[in-house]
Amino acid sequence: MKTSLYIDRGSIVHRLHPTLKIFALFAAFWSIYWIDNPLTLVPFIAAEFAVGIAIGAGENVYRFRWFFLLIVLPTMITWMISYRRGTPIINLPLIHASKESILFGLGKGMKVAALVLASVIFLSSTKVEELSVGLSRLGFPYRFGFTITLAFRLVPLFIDSALTVVDAQRLRGYDFDEGGPFERIRRYVPVIIPVFMGALRKANNMAMALEARGFGRSNQPTSFIEYRMHTRDAGAFAILIAVGTVAFMLYWTGYGAIPGASIHS
Amino acid sequence: MIGIMGASGAGKSTLAKVLNRIIPELEGGDLRGVVMLGGRSIADAHVCDLAGDLGMVFQDFESQLFSTTVAHEVAFAMERIGMPREEILARLEPALEAVGLRGFEDRDPTTLSGGQKQRLAIASVLALRPRVVVLDEPTTDLDPEGRAEVFALIRRMREEGISLIVIEHEAEELRQCDRVVILRDGSIIAEGTPATVMPKIELLEECGINAPGLDRVARLLGIDDHPASIGDAEAHIRTLLPHLSPGAEVQLDRADRKIVESKTILEIDSVSFSYSGGPRVLDDISLTIGAGEFIAIVGQNGSGKTTLAKMSVGLLAPDSGEVLLEGRDRTTLRPAETAREIGYVFQNPDHQIFADTVEAEVKFGPRNFGLDDREIESRSAEVLQAVGLENERDTDPFLLGKGQRQRLAVASVLALRPRLLILDEPTTGLDYREQRKMMKLVSELNASGVAIVMITHTPWLVAEYAHRVVLMRAGRKLFEGPVREFFIRDELLRTSSFKPPEVTTLSRRFGTVALSAAELVEWLRGRAQ
Repeated sequence: MKTSLYIDRGSIVHRLHPTLKIFALFAAFWSIYWIDNPLTLVPFIAAEFAVGIAIGAGENVYRFRWFFLLIVLPTMITWMISYRRGTPIINLPLIHASKESILFGLGKGMKVAALVLASVIFLSSTKVEELSVGLSRLGFPYRFGFTITLAFRLVPLFIDSALTVVDAQRLRGYDFDEGGPFERIRRYVPVIIPVFMGALRKANNMAMALEARGFGRSNQPTSFIEYRMHTRDAGAFAILIAVGTVAFMLYWTGYGAIPGASIHS
Repeated sequence: MIGIMGASGAGKSTLAKVLNRIIPELEGGDLRGVVMLGGRSIADAHVCDLAGDLGMVFQDFESQLFSTTVAHEVAFAMERIGMPREEILARLEPALEAVGLRGFEDRDPTTLSGGQKQRLAIASVLALRPRVVVLDEPTTDLDPEGRAEVFALIRRMREEGISLIVIEHEAEELRQCDRVVILRDGSIIAEGTPATVMPKIELLEECGINAPGLDRVARLLGIDDHPASIGDAEAHIRTLLPHLSPGAEVQLDRADRKIVESKTILEIDSVSFSYSGGPRVLDDISLTIGAGEFIAIVGQNGSGKTTLAKMSVGLLAPDSGEVLLEGRDRTTLRPAETAREIGYVFQNPDHQIFADTVEAEVKFGPRNFGLDDREIESRSAEVLQAVGLENERDTDPFLLGKGQRQRLAVASVLALRPRLLILDEPTTGLDYREQRKMMKLVSELNASGVAIVMITHTPWLVAEYAHRVVLMRAGRKLFEGPVREFFIRDELLRTSSFKPPEVTTLSRRFGTVALSAAELVEWLRGRAQ
C-alpha cells in the first residue's frame, strides 16, 4: 500500500525550497480566508486546479474525490439552511434559506474545497522529509517537525489496519449496519479497540527503532540533500505575496464579500 | 556470528534490547550486571549514542522505515547523528551495494517486497558501520524468497567480518554460526558450537526450538556426529549403510496422505480478479475443496493467496468466473451469512481480538448469530477446551502470549462451527512448541471432518500436515497435487524460492521422498534389512 501522497514529477513546484512550499500553503490559506464571494473564489480555485494538474497531482485529487464531497457538501448545505441573513425564500423553524445564505453556503463549501485542494497539492509535491526540513528552517523544534511527518506515515497504516479489522469482525457474523446513527457508531467498538491496540504496539516498535537509529542524539540533524534558495524560489515568493495582497485587497474593497451576507462585509 | 535461540518469552529480545540499552532506558526494569562494548561499559550511554557502534534490526520491518525514498531511509540514521553531508553521500552507495539495493535509491520503500524492506533496514544500520549488528528474528514476517535474501545477506556480512548476533527460532538457519546460545526462562542453559549444541534434540525441543531435521535423522540412526550439511548427512548415512545404491532415481514409492474424495464444499471456477485499475491478482484460477480435506496454499507474497482466501469467504467478488459454496453462487451471499460455513482466521490475531475476557471474545461470534445462551455457553466451553485455553476464560486477551492469542483467534472462529476453515499463516511468530500445539489443534479439527485450507510459507508444515499443495505465482496456479509430487518439481520449487525440508532433500539422494526424519529413517532401515 502506498502510504504517501507524494508524486515524483520533478516539476518546478516540486523543486521549490521546502520552506517556500510551506509558505505557499500558508499563502493559499491566507488568500482563501479573506474571500467569501463564490464568484471571486473561482479564479483562485481555477489557479489551484491548474497548478495541481501541471504538477501531476490529478491522481491524488481524483483519489480524494469522495473526501471532497464529504466535507464540501455538508458544509455548503449546513450554511445554506442555517445562515440567517437576507430575505428568506424558505423560513421554517430549523431551515432558513435566502439568496444571501445560498451564496454564503456555496462560498463556504468552495473555501473548504480550496483549502483541501491546496493541501493535496502541497502533499503531492513535498516529501515528508522536506516538510520536516522546512518546519525546522522556520524555527519549529526538530522533534515537532518529525512528529508531524511521522503522522503522515502512520495514518494510512492505521486505515489499512482498520479495513482488515472490519473484515475480520464481519466474518464473525457482525453487522455494522444495524440500528440508528448512534448505535452504528457504538457498533464500531470491535474495530476501534484492535486498531488502537495495534497502533500502540506499532508506536512502541517505531520508538525503539527510531532511538536505535540515533534519533535524539543531535538536535540539529544534518541532511544529505542540500536545500538552497534559487531564483525560482524568489519568483514564487513574489507571486505568492502578490496573490496574498490581491486577496486581502479584494476583502478590503468589499469585492470578496457577498453583499448583505458576509461577516467581512 | 552468534545465534541465540529459545522459546517465546525465554528472554531473547530482552537480551537484545539490553545490548543497546533500550532496556532499561525506554522500557524500564531492574538491570544488573554490565554490558561491555569494545571493552567499555555502556552503562552511562543512551540508546541513540550507541547507534554507531551497535546496529539493531527488528522483526517488524514496517516499523523501521520512516522515509519516502530508499536513499533517504539509508541516510536517516546518519542524519540523526549529525554526520556531515559529504560523509553521508560517501557511505550511501556502499551500504546499498552491500544489501543488493543499488539502483533503488529513488524508490518509495512502501513499494518494496518484504525481503527488500528488511534488507533496506539492514542497509540503514550498516551505513553507520557498527561493530556489532543484532538481528532480532529478522525473517519471521517474510516469505521464502525474502528469507533467502536476508540469510544470504547475513552470510555476506559474516564474510566481511561484521560481528553478528542473530536471534532465530529455526535452528537449521543458525548452523553456520560460530557459537549458539540457548536461553530458557531468562538464563543461558546451553552454549557452544553448532556441532555440540544442535545434536541435543530433546533439549532444543524442550526450549521450543525446532531442531535441524538432519540432526534428527542422525540421532534416529544412532550417528553421534553433527551433520553440518545435507552432503555431510548423506556421507554419514552411506558410511553406516554402505549397500545403499548411490545416485538412485527418485521413486514416489510410498502412498501420499489421503487425497479425500468427498462432497465438494467450495468450488472456484476460472476466477480472475484485479483491484480497481490494477494488474490481475488472480488469473483464471480453479480449485475444488471437499469436506475433510487439508490443503496447503504456498507461494511468494503477492502471488494471490490471501486474495483467493478473501474471495472464498466473500470479502471480494471475482471479475470473471464463479465461486460456488455448496452449489450456491458465493456473490449472492454476504460474508456474515456464511460465517457459519466458512471460517477465516487472519494472519494477525490482533486484527480481531477486542473483548475484555477470553470467554467474551469466543462468545462474540455465536452472539452475532443470535444463538441462545445455553448453546453459546456450551460452544464456548467446547472450543476453549479444544485450544487449551479453558483455564484462561477470565483473562484479558491482551495479556496472553502470541501463541495463545493465535489459538484464541482460531477458537473464536471455531465457535461458529464452520465446515471449512481457512487459516492465513497460522504459525507466523510462534515458536516451535506453539507451532506444534497449533498444528495439533488444526489436525484434530481436520480429523473431525473440518476441511482445512492453510496459507503458509513453512515447508515442514506442508510436508507433515497437508494432503494436497497448491502453488501460486503472480495470480496463477502453477501446481496442484500431492505433497510428495510437489517436492520433486525442482524447477517449480527453485523459481518459487520454496525450499523443501532438508530431510526431504536428503531423502531424494537415496531415491525416495520422505516427509519427516522418522519416515526417512524407517525407509532406510527397510532398505538395510
